[in-house]
Amino acid sequence: MRTQYYQFPASRNPARRAHVGVVGSGDLEVLLEPGTADGSGGAAGHAQVRVRTSVEGFDEVWQATLERFFARTPVLGNWELNDAGATPALVTLRLQQAAEAAGPADTADTEEAS
Amino acid sequence: MTPPTNATRDEAARALGAIAGGQSIDWEHVLHRRSFLELDALARAEALVDDGTIRVLCGPFERLESPWLVPQDVTPQSDDGVVIAQGTIGGTAVVIASIEQKFQGGGVGEVSGAKITQALRLAAASSRHGTPIPAVLLLETGGVRLQEANLGLNACAEICSALLELRALAPVIGVVAGSVGSFGGVSIATGLCTHVIITPEGRIGLNGAAVIEQEAGAEEFDSSDRSLIWAVDGGEQRRSTGLADTLVVDDVGELRDAVREAVAAGPASPGSHRSERLDVLDARLATIDPANPPEPRQLREMWGDTYGTPPAKPAAPTASSGAEPRPGAARSRSSMQPSRRGRTWITALAAGTTPRPVIRSVLRADTDGTTYLAVVPDPGNPFYRARQGQVGLTECAALARQFREIAADDAHRAERRAIVAVVDLPSQAYGRIEEMAGLHQAIAAAVDATEAARVAGHPIVALVVGQALSGGFLAHGLQSSQLLALDDPGVEIHAIHRQAAARITLRTVAQLDELAKTIPPLSYDVRVWATLGFCDGLLKVSSAESPTPDDVQTVAQAISGAVARARSGPADLSNRLESADARRNRKASRAVRDTLNRQWTEHSGH
Repeated sequence: MRTQYYQFPASRNPARRAHVGVVGSGDLEVLLEPGTADGSGGAAGHAQVRVRTSVEGFDEVWQATLERFFARTPVLGNWELNDAGATPALVTLRLQQAAEAAGPADTADTEEAS
Repeated sequence: MTPPTNATRDEAARALGAIAGGQSIDWEHVLHRRSFLELDALARAEALVDDGTIRVLCGPFERLESPWLVPQDVTPQSDDGVVIAQGTIGGTAVVIASIEQKFQGGGVGEVSGAKITQALRLAAASSRHGTPIPAVLLLETGGVRLQEANLGLNACAEICSALLELRALAPVIGVVAGSVGSFGGVSIATGLCTHVIITPEGRIGLNGAAVIEQEAGAEEFDSSDRSLIWAVDGGEQRRSTGLADTLVVDDVGELRDAVREAVAAGPASPGSHRSERLDVLDARLATIDPANPPEPRQLREMWGDTYGTPPAKPAAPTASSGAEPRPGAARSRSSMQPSRRGRTWITALAAGTTPRPVIRSVLRADTDGTTYLAVVPDPGNPFYRARQGQVGLTECAALARQFREIAADDAHRAERRAIVAVVDLPSQAYGRIEEMAGLHQAIAAAVDATEAARVAGHPIVALVVGQALSGGFLAHGLQSSQLLALDDPGVEIHAIHRQAAARITLRTVAQLDELAKTIPPLSYDVRVWATLGFCDGLLKVSSAESPTPDDVQTVAQAISGAVARARSGPADLSNRLESADARRNRKASRAVRDTLNRQWTEHSGH
């Protein structure tokens, strides 16, 4: 198992915490909690992300997947991903589901076609 | 191409649940179904309670995850794969425990087990205080999570005990919707439920086909034969032989209705639960000749679909003792020389009396104020998969009857006698006949009887003198109020034997032993087991094989001490969380208990 920490610039505060997904083969769970006002635990204006994954050797894929997601969906807060080998597409889907569940979608910066 | 015949069409319609009660085909009904099987654990719980009433307790943000997985390089889940929720069903307040089958195959670990146990205990406490809280258990699991072996095994014992505590006060409804089914230690809990609801996709069994094939070969159980597997332990078969109460198709509405009805029915009357009907268990087992076993389908006619006196007559006694349906059928891959320790110790402890066979594989010895019970090897056991001392169908039935009789005999005595389970068990019996007949249900009978004796006030002490593995230990020993073990390398307490554990968790035996050095619940060393929090005495003897008089005296004294502690201690298993070792090695269980206690009352205060 590998544990990695990331942070990405973000601007939108989630309205509430959210939990989606299951740590089942090929899937992952995502927990999102609004950060504290002072941005403790990381730089202000950044989303804090912890990834724990059963599959090693995909650091670059994680970096790229998360970067793309937060570029489009800059939701602040503490994100925890517990992964059991999900594909990048499913990771992105679960992140989007968590962001949606956590608060009203900000239409300006989500869901653009790539 | 020939058009399908009416018979083919009817068969297909029946398989899809489009024919209810053998009447006309209703395809519309099928098309409007909403699958329950495809839902995750939370969505299943939500689907069963009245809309908008669900309140999750001990949820993902409490982060009570397993402390044992990360050190083994396994990603944990934030709720450890069990959703506990309060809600109402048909207006009645209930508690739901829903196992997430996709996380570790639903395997019961320390945390997930403690969540189920504590939810049941809290429901029992509320029920005692005037608000009966039925429980709905969504059971999809292979049983003990092998990464947490001994803590998972103990968790199964605690779940069973808490379930029985609640069952007397409010109904406990088991739902086995599929697709994993209910296996291992949890299948025993299923056998204790007031009411069991199952789908054709669901299965209930102690041992799955793959494990049996591994132990006994493909001749015993071919795990690639899916139709055989479902014929033995599938939902239709379990319902048709009275081992489940309601069979419904995979549809949210149908499951909801079935659960609602079972909740509304309330608790069953004392003595009527399957696990209490020893008369039925005995009569059913008597119809089977293991040397010439019936096909699963025949069993439906032999036993009938209600758990009552079977229509079939007892089988003619097998001509020669030791008969096997084929050469080598009794051999086990993991088998060792049948151990003599159980017989040796029960004989030594019952000084002055000779232990008598209740059946040839179950010995009983009565001394002043104490009854000893042991399961021992019987090379002529007609149930050939239980010849090396395994706990099989007839052993469970015999044990259950002893506990019930002892409790009945002492019902009016001022002081109830102590019962000592002398434990030397290579495992439960791994066999196809055992699964077909419902070994989980037989073990449930033994567990129920032991719990009943303990709650009635009998001090119950387990003394582990050899192996204590898996379902065998759950059936005989783990429901005791005090657990003693000899401090000897031949004493081994575990959820499964080494080779199988290594195979299933994709490790070598050497890797497993290395991991066990830092992860106590994985260890096969009894001294490490003794640190898990529920060992009440590790007894040094000079010889566990051939005890000296001093050894016997040491152990007898330890037993007296344990009996005294049991008499003054709680009648349930709650003390397993109170020892100094439990405070150290079962921190997670204690955190679960405390969190659920707090949240239960917060929520109930509405």
